[in-house]
Amino acid sequence: MLLLHFALSVFRLTPCEASQKDEVICGPASAWFESVDMSVDVAKRGFHRELLYEVHHDPTPQAIKALVIQRLPSGVYMDQYQLASLREDTGLQVLLDSAVSLEDPAHMSSGFSALVYLSPADGLPGLLQAVVPVHGRYHRPSSSGGWERVYIEGPRLLLRPESCETLPSGLPHRVVEAPCTVQNQSVCSWLEIQGLQVPDSVTLELPVGDFSLTGPVCAGTILATLLCFALLFRTIWTHGIF
Amino acid sequence: MKNLESNDDDWLKNGLFDCICQYITFTEPPLHCDQMWSPWALHGESPYNRSTYRYTPLLAWMLLPNIYATPHFGKLLFVTCDVLSGVLLYHILCLRGLSSDAACRFCALWLLNPLPIGVSTRGNAEALLSLLVLATLLCLELKRFFMAAFFYGLSVHMKIYPVTYALPIALYISTHGKLEAQKRGVFRMLQRLFNKELVLFAAVAGAVFFWLTLAFYCLYGWDSLHETYLYHLTRRDIRHNFSPYFYMIYLTAESQWSLVLGLVSFLPQLVLVLLTSLAFHADLPFCCFLNTAIFVSFNKVCTSQYFLWYLCFLPLILPRLRLSKKQGVGLLLLWFAGQGLWLMPAYYLEFEGHNTFVYIWLAGLLFLFNNSFIMVQIISHYIPETVQQRKKTE
Repeated sequence: MLLLHFALSVFRLTPCEASQKDEVICGPASAWFESVDMSVDVAKRGFHRELLYEVHHDPTPQAIKALVIQRLPSGVYMDQYQLASLREDTGLQVLLDSAVSLEDPAHMSSGFSALVYLSPADGLPGLLQAVVPVHGRYHRPSSSGGWERVYIEGPRLLLRPESCETLPSGLPHRVVEAPCTVQNQSVCSWLEIQGLQVPDSVTLELPVGDFSLTGPVCAGTILATLLCFALLFRTIWTHGIF
Repeated sequence: MKNLESNDDDWLKNGLFDCICQYITFTEPPLHCDQMWSPWALHGESPYNRSTYRYTPLLAWMLLPNIYATPHFGKLLFVTCDVLSGVLLYHILCLRGLSSDAACRFCALWLLNPLPIGVSTRGNAEALLSLLVLATLLCLELKRFFMAAFFYGLSVHMKIYPVTYALPIALYISTHGKLEAQKRGVFRMLQRLFNKELVLFAAVAGAVFFWLTLAFYCLYGWDSLHETYLYHLTRRDIRHNFSPYFYMIYLTAESQWSLVLGLVSFLPQLVLVLLTSLAFHADLPFCCFLNTAIFVSFNKVCTSQYFLWYLCFLPLILPRLRLSKKQGVGLLLLWFAGQGLWLMPAYYLEFEGHNTFVYIWLAGLLFLFNNSFIMVQIISHYIPETVQQRKKTE
């Protein structure tokens, strides 16, 4: 009886040890996720800005991949050709979910999502970051000029341990399917980290034209061009050889 | 696109070359090197899959060595076109009666000009157009009408603005006949349009343009017509640029008056180009210079690369310009000052986020006044070549 009890105990322990070994190999512990912190900032001014993403976390023996899903409104755009150029030059990895017009004004454009794959910062363990250029679109003129506010909602952060095929179970985070890399050739399971202390949105202010000046601007422009036209017409007529 | 630092001191401290490059990138929408267009051509896809590609597919094909050889091929090609343009300018100046030394000095105004250097090394194809247009002028000067027509047809296919030279070229060729036939009057001019050299020129230029356009239409469909030609004819850019119409277009973009205002703004350009063609066609470089300068100044969109379209004629007209050095330098400074006054508020709008739309609009109007005043001074102090003088030198 004692032997049977001993045998059953061994069988019970073996799967537990195996699962503990799996947990050690495949993904950090649940407590590690509480060390994850993200910040989002907007740099530069005017129509050409940069979105700065930083994810801080406690050191872990496994490499962690971080993916930021940023929803962007129609008031801004990312230049896919600039991103392709930056990918070659600086290693910035950004995937856009749709073709983005580079020239249309805001009211003729639509929002889109950018998938930003963060990279480890040189010499700084526990820090993943990316700097993504974003450009403002022209907006409709307003009745009094001034500025138009563009709200960029807070991003979603997805993490996954690099070496894991399956994610650790029992974690209080949603599992989301997303492209594994910027090459977008396969889909992986990611953990969406919730409860991060990021602002609900960041705000850009973009200058807009003053609609109330339409009359004076049209009149002034036509007057100026007619004046210059008359000046040139008279000179050409006087000095021309007909 | 290289973003300027928001620190004004850093911006001012940049070297001359950097300043010009940044000035060009600053006034232009982002434009990466032409190699971005060639991959589509390489894989048999349409280059119009690359958004903002609004040129002939011929350009993308010409830049395929960017993929095979070196990514700098495009820039090397355009720089070579710049240098060749200098060679053509030299030959045209010599044919117009200048000594070799004098011709070299005037060519240096193009070859050592930082603006064309900056534009070509940035990867912009304007140098190719300058080369084709100058080749057309040289062939016309040498009475090689077939080659002139070929280059002209090709230049109009590459970009639409040389179509403004059609009337002066036609009148120039038509006055190539006997001296006693050169009677004055607009009606006589129109009567002389029907001669065999002109018919040959029109046929060859038309055929080159037509067959190239048709070939690319068969390959790439409606996109090739729309993006290469129609887009530029109907283009109304609400974003800030040198045009005096920019703010008016921005504020009335969705207004019912937009079409009427567009037509009204087109009329001064059209009338002046027609008048200049009739008035100065005997001196083709001068006529082309004025046509282009008027076209650019009164256009609904004007960016810095458009200046190259008429700057390439400057070395050809300067020898006949009777301005003192002081007057010449004064006009040059006025031209730069006009641009500087526009660039300042435009910089603060685009890179600092200040609302300077009104200042940009006023600076655009001032730039138009500047350009008009400079053209008036040039026309008033220029001694154009007449038909009689041309006949005597042949």
